[in-house]
Amino acid sequence: MDFSNYSILISDDSILARKQLKDVINSLGEGATFIDASNGQEAIDKYREHHPTLAFLDIVMPVKDGIEAVKGIISEDPQAEIIIVSSVGTQAQLKAAIEAGAKDFIQKPVNATQVKTIIEKHLP
Amino acid sequence: MFAQFFGNFLLGKDAVTPEQLAKAIAQTQSTHVKLGTIAMQKGYMTAAEVDEVCFMQTREDKRFGEIAVERNYLFEDQLEDLLETQNSNYLLLGQALVDLGYLTNEELESHLIEYQAENDLGSLSAGDESDDAVERLVENFLEDADGEIPDHAVIYIKLVFNSLVRFVGQDFTPLAPIEVDSYEAHCCVTQRIGGPIHITASLDMDEDVAIEFASRYADMEFDSFDEYAEASLEDFLNLHNGLFTVNMSNSRAMELSLEPPYHEDETEITFRGKCYVIPVIYPFGTVYVLVEI
Repeated sequence: MDFSNYSILISDDSILARKQLKDVINSLGEGATFIDASNGQEAIDKYREHHPTLAFLDIVMPVKDGIEAVKGIISEDPQAEIIIVSSVGTQAQLKAAIEAGAKDFIQKPVNATQVKTIIEKHLP
Repeated sequence: MFAQFFGNFLLGKDAVTPEQLAKAIAQTQSTHVKLGTIAMQKGYMTAAEVDEVCFMQTREDKRFGEIAVERNYLFEDQLEDLLETQNSNYLLLGQALVDLGYLTNEELESHLIEYQAENDLGSLSAGDESDDAVERLVENFLEDADGEIPDHAVIYIKLVFNSLVRFVGQDFTPLAPIEVDSYEAHCCVTQRIGGPIHITASLDMDEDVAIEFASRYADMEFDSFDEYAEASLEDFLNLHNGLFTVNMSNSRAMELSLEPPYHEDETEITFRGKCYVIPVIYPFGTVYVLVEI
């Protein structure tokens, strides 16, 4: 797949989780531009600055969590394509994130099949 | 889980040293359990019969089972049963201790009998690890701790062992928990669980141990304790604690929340609540699991 027209925001306080998700996306196609954020506030700020095609947000993050970040981003761009990357143990929070406007979710640890399905569904 | 606690049992009996145990655990990674070891555990053969068949194998080009059946030490159906349970791992540990010369077959036989009796494992086949049996093992293990450990902490600690088996490797032996007021941490990740109950859980280890632990969990080769390796430790703890919160929600209808994990280096931690330290010996070093309740 050709991702050269796409920018993807990946917000997770774990640098390893961000790298693993980027590696999976890079294995599916070439050319995507990545924007990193390590907390919810940074995700909102970077979204405002770059208006990425797709945003992956972790739920448990410092400063502002994923739910607050979804609310912040949706208030600026109601059409934002936000995908929640949830760990186990965050089901109640996952529901809150979807209610706040996240479009979809994938479960950690991420794998290529999950991410491929999400990308095909949500990238224009 | 039987192998991990069998190692702890042997240490408790002073039957082996921690160094010998670590070597044996490392050896189990590259060996398969022998039929003779299982035959003793199941009571099909005595240690003397096993030794005799092993000796015969140096004279005849035949399999262990073949010779044992020929000599009427085993019935055919017993042999089939042994072959089925050959993948069991606590026997593998016992066998490694014999192979390395730390225990004789006779000593292993008597330790196995005692271990099974103490933990009521007699009716189980070696490969069968039912929840009840694992529960009993963990409870017996925690009896060695100072004072009584609350129920939710027992559940938490049991899950720690499961998570280590699933995500890092089963080649470990836990030592009995120690209650402490403060702790000198080296390379430590911590995460708080809040809600109706509070647990602060940490993993601490030396940096070289942390590099190996992180490599195993992330399935990547780390050469140094860089930010990725640090994140790997945090991700393990986060995933494990997530599983705990799901279990508590499903089994106790208790909703818990997680704070982000964080890393600390070379620091002294003082505890407000009760804190248990459980050393877990892996072939690459010791991981200290800290559970503050």
